[in-house]
Amino acid sequence: MENGKQKELRTLEGHYDRIESIEVARKALLDRKRMSMRFLMYLCFSLVFLIALGTAVILIITNSRVEKKLRFLEITNDLTVEISQARRFEKNFFLYGTNLNDALENIYHAKNILDQNRSELKKILGKDEHERIISSIISNINHYEILIDRLIKTEPSQMVSPKFHSTKKEIEAELRKYGREMIAFAQDLMKKERESLRRILSLSRNLHIYSLIFLLIFLMFVAYLFGSRLLSHINRFTTYAQRIASGNFTPITPTRRYRDEFTDLALAINQMTQELEEHEATIVQSHKMRAVGTLTAGVAHELNNPLNNITITAHMLLEDYDTMNKDEHIDMINDVINETDRSKKIISNLLDFARESSSQVESLGLEKLLRDTVDLASNQLKLSGIKISFQTTGNLPRIHGDGQQLQQVFLNLILNAVDASSKGKKIQILLVPADEPNYVAVKVIDTGKGIPEHIIGSIFDPFFTTKGKGKGTGLGLSVSQGIVGKHGGRISVSSREGAGAIFTVILPITTIPDKIMHQQVLL
Amino acid sequence: MSIIIIASDSYKTGREISEKVAEAAGYACMDRELLKSVSEKYNAPEGKLIRALEKPPSFMGLTSKLRNLYLAYIQEVTLSRLLEDNVVCHGLAAHLYILGVSHALKVRILSDPERLISEMTAQENVARKKAINLIKKRKALRKRWSIACFNMDENEPSGYDLVISLSQIEPDEAVKTVVDTVGYRKFKPMTYSIKCLKDKELAGRVRAVLMKNFSDVKVQANGSTVIVETRALKRDKQKKTEAIKKLAGEIKDVGIVEVHVFKDIFRQAVESDR
Amino acid sequence: MSERLDVLILDDEPIVGKRLKPALAKIGCEVEIFVNSNEALDRINEKEFDIVVTDIRMENIDGLQVLEHVVKKSGRTKVIMLTGYAMMAVAREAMEKGAFDFIAKPFKPDDLRKIIAKAAKALGSPIDFNASDAGND
Repeated sequence: MENGKQKELRTLEGHYDRIESIEVARKALLDRKRMSMRFLMYLCFSLVFLIALGTAVILIITNSRVEKKLRFLEITNDLTVEISQARRFEKNFFLYGTNLNDALENIYHAKNILDQNRSELKKILGKDEHERIISSIISNINHYEILIDRLIKTEPSQMVSPKFHSTKKEIEAELRKYGREMIAFAQDLMKKERESLRRILSLSRNLHIYSLIFLLIFLMFVAYLFGSRLLSHINRFTTYAQRIASGNFTPITPTRRYRDEFTDLALAINQMTQELEEHEATIVQSHKMRAVGTLTAGVAHELNNPLNNITITAHMLLEDYDTMNKDEHIDMINDVINETDRSKKIISNLLDFARESSSQVESLGLEKLLRDTVDLASNQLKLSGIKISFQTTGNLPRIHGDGQQLQQVFLNLILNAVDASSKGKKIQILLVPADEPNYVAVKVIDTGKGIPEHIIGSIFDPFFTTKGKGKGTGLGLSVSQGIVGKHGGRISVSSREGAGAIFTVILPITTIPDKIMHQQVLL
Repeated sequence: MSIIIIASDSYKTGREISEKVAEAAGYACMDRELLKSVSEKYNAPEGKLIRALEKPPSFMGLTSKLRNLYLAYIQEVTLSRLLEDNVVCHGLAAHLYILGVSHALKVRILSDPERLISEMTAQENVARKKAINLIKKRKALRKRWSIACFNMDENEPSGYDLVISLSQIEPDEAVKTVVDTVGYRKFKPMTYSIKCLKDKELAGRVRAVLMKNFSDVKVQANGSTVIVETRALKRDKQKKTEAIKKLAGEIKDVGIVEVHVFKDIFRQAVESDR
Repeated sequence: MSERLDVLILDDEPIVGKRLKPALAKIGCEVEIFVNSNEALDRINEKEFDIVVTDIRMENIDGLQVLEHVVKKSGRTKVIMLTGYAMMAVAREAMEKGAFDFIAKPFKPDDLRKIIAKAAKALGSPIDFNASDAGND
C-alpha cells in the first residue's frame, strides 16, 4: 500500500514536472522582445518609402536650383544683349557718326537689369562672388557710361577743333576697352553658370540612377531577410515535427532573441505535444493490455499443472485419510500449499505486468529485466512449443529507464518472434555491448519465416500489420519504437525471408543518473 | 463413435447429404424434426424457431432477445441429443456452437451452383439473373445472421474440417469422403472431448433456464462449475447475482455457480441522464 | 482380481506420479513413475508396459514423441495422454498417432482410474474398478 502510494506520488510529481517544463518553455518563449514579422514588414516598407521620399526631395531641390540657374542665365543674357546693343550704337557712331543717345539708353537698361536683380544675383552668386563680379561689371558700365556721356557732350562743340579727333580717338580706345571687358565679364558669367547648370543636371541624372540601384539592393536585402527568416522558421518547425514524430516530446525552447508569430506556433505545438503524450500513454497502456490478453491463454494453461497437482493430492488425501499416518498427511497438505503458492506466482507475474503504472525512471539491470520478461512469456512459449534461450556477456553496466515500458518492448519483440516461428523453433535473446560505445544491445533472434524485403521498411509504421484482421493492431512495433526512442535508443531489424529476423534494441548506458532523470522529465 | 455436423448453403442439399451419410455410416440423423420436441418442451411455436435459425433480427421479424432465447432452446435440446454419439446433425446451427470438440467432424457442403439457381428460379418464380442475385443476397443474409447470433461467419471455410463443393464432386462421392474422414482415429471420442461436449451441454441447459429471465447472460461450464457473465447496474448487482445463483443452482449436475457481473455502462449512461 | 497391470507414468510434475501411484495400485496396477522422458523411454525399451500414461508438454522429448515411440515398439500398449495444454488440435493429433485416450488436467484420480479400467478391458484383462470405489466412500 505504502509503496503504491509512493509510486502514485512519484508519478504525479513526474506529471507536474512535465507540465512545469512546458510552462518554463512557455515563459522563455514569451519572455523576449516581440519583433513580429508583420512589424518587420511594416518597417521595411516604411524604409523603402523614406528612401523614395528622400530621392524625391533631392530631385525637387535640384529642380529649383536648375530653375534658379536658368533665371540667372536669362538675366546675364539680357545684360549681354543690352551691352552688345550699346556697343553696336557706339560702333555706328564712330563709323557713321550716328546718335549715341541710344547707346546710353542701352547702358541705362543694363544697369537697370543689374539693379533690379541685385538681390537675386546676390543669392545666386553668393555674397563675395557677387561683390567681386557685379562691382567690376558695374564699374565697367559706369566707366563706359561716363565715356559715352563725354562723347555726347564734346561732340557738337568740338567737332571742328583739331583736338577733337585725338580726343575722340582716345575716348574710342577707352570705350572699346571697357566695352570688351563688359562683354567678357558677362560672357564669363554666363559660361560659369552654364557649367554649373550642366553639373547640376548630371548630378540629378546620377542621383536617379544611384537611388534606383540603392533601392534595388535594399529590396533584395529585404527579400533575402524575410525569405531566409521564413525558411529558417519553416526548417526549424520541420525538424520539430520530425522530432515529435520520432516520439521526442521535449518542449520547443527559444532559439532567437526576439519573438514573433512563430512563437505563437511554438506555443501551440508545445501544448499539442503535451496532449499527444497523454494520448501516447493511453496507446502504450492499451497495447500492453493486448499483450496481457495474449499471455492470459498461456497462463490459463500453465495453471492447469499446479491445479492438477492440488486436485489429485486433495482427492487422494480424502480417499486415504484413515489409512495414512500424520507425516503423510502433512506431506500432502504441504504439497497443496506449495502448489497454491506456485499458482499464485504464475498469476502474479502477469498481474504485476498488467498493472497500470505511469512511467518512472530508475536504474535497471537489463539482465534481470530480460529474465523476468522471458519468464513472463514462458507460458506462451510452452503453448506454442517454441524454445527460448537467453545469453549475455555478463557484467554489463546498468541503464536508466522505465522498467515496465522496456519490458513491454522486449515482450512485444518476443511475442512477435513467437508468432513468426513454428513449433520446435528456437528464439534466442542476447544481451551484449553494442557496436557503438556507451550503448548496450538486446537482440531478439528468431529463425521463423522472416520479413519480406518489400515490407521491411514499413514494419515500424503505425497501423502496419501482417497479421489478419482483428489479430494485430499494427501498433506494437510503432509503440516499441516510441518507447525505445524516449530512452535515447533505437530499434533496428535485419531479416532474410525464410531465415528469420533479428531485432536489435540499443539503449544508452548512463553513468550520471541525474542527467537522464532530468532528460526524462523533459521528454 | 463420432458426431458429424453438416452445414450447407442450401437446406435441401444439406439434408440430402446428411441422410445419405447417416445411412452409409450407420448413424442416426438429426434434423429440424427435433424442433418439434423443442417446441413442446419450451412451448415455443415451431415456425418461429425456424425463423430464429434462418434470419437475422429485423424490425419486422423476431427481436434479438426472442431470437437468442429460441436459439438457446434449440441449442439445449440439440446438445443433449448429441451426447448420445453416432449422430449426423444438420440444420440446427450446431456448426456454430460446437467448437473445440475433437470428435465432431464439421462438414460444409456447397451445392452445385446450377442446381441452386434452378431451385431458386422454380421456388421464387423469377428469371435466372434475378435468381443469382437472390442467392447472393441470401448468402450475405446468412453471414449477417451467423455473425449476429454466434459472432462467426458461417461462410468462412476455416470453421470446418471438410468443405466439399458439389459442383464437381458427385453427392455419392461426397458422402463417401465424409464417411471415410470420420473413420480417422482423430475423430474418435476421448475423455477430453466428451468432457468438452458435456460442459457445453450443461452450459446449454443453464443458459436455456437463465435466458428466460435474463436476456444478457453468457454461460460457460467446466465440470460441475458454471460461470455466468452478465451485465447489471451497481445497485442491482447483488440481487441479480443471487437470482442467477438460485436459478442455476437448482439445475441438475450444477455444483458451483460463479457469477461475473459487468457494469452495464449503457443503461448507466441512459439513467444518469434522467 | 486378475493379474496385475504394468503401468508407466511419465510427467515432469513429480506430484502427479507420487500421488497417482498409490491411486492406481489400489485397482491392481504395478506402477513405475518417471519425471524425465529420456529415462522413461529407456525403460519402455526394456520392458513392455500394458499402459503408458504420459504428459504431453515436457522438456526435450514431448509426450507425442513418447506416444509414437510406444506405438512403434508395442502396438498392444495403451497410451493415455495427460495435458494442461489441452486443445482440439493436440487432442486430434494424439488420437491420430494412436493414443488410447486423452485427458485434460486438472482431473480427479477417479477419472484416470476409469480410463485405466477401460484400457484394461480393451487389453482383455478387465480389472475390478470397484476396488477403488470402496476406498472412495
